[in-house]
Amino acid sequence: MSNAASNPELQRILMQEEEKRMVNQVVSALTSQCWDKCITSTPGNKFSSGESACLTNCAHRFLDVTVLIMKRFQSMN
Amino acid sequence: MDSFSSPASSIGSSDPRQISPEQFQNLVQSQFAQAYAQEFLETIRDKCFKSCISKPGSSLSGSESSCVSRCVDRYIEATGIISKALMQRPH
Repeated sequence: MSNAASNPELQRILMQEEEKRMVNQVVSALTSQCWDKCITSTPGNKFSSGESACLTNCAHRFLDVTVLIMKRFQSMN
Repeated sequence: MDSFSSPASSIGSSDPRQISPEQFQNLVQSQFAQAYAQEFLETIRDKCFKSCISKPGSSLSGSESSCVSRCVDRYIEATGIISKALMQRPH
């Protein structure tokens, strides 16, 4: 695939797919962490309202922490 | 496996310098999809093994296997919930 590096069209496609892959990776990693935090009993036929709320909160707090850490780093320089 | 081998072989039959953007995109997508599926499977296996098999017996019991089925469904559902929540604004 030596031409992928020199062909701008292929480069654009690769970057676009790479970005999708990175989004999926964040979702996977976060699902794993939130599952461990929120699903403490054996999985049932459906999530309890507490479990699904915990998963949603978990993702939102992750975004909060991301923003907080970015701000913390910005204030260092 | 099939989704991986078909675009690759269609490219292999032609000059690699003549790869079309569509072929290239299919190749990249199928490779990423295969890697993702592999990782997803391993993660679900580990989570559901942990959740459902607390004390391994001489064989998998009926309740353990139904727990695994429910666990797989819930894990896929959880992935959807997390994905949706990440796209929303946090409150």
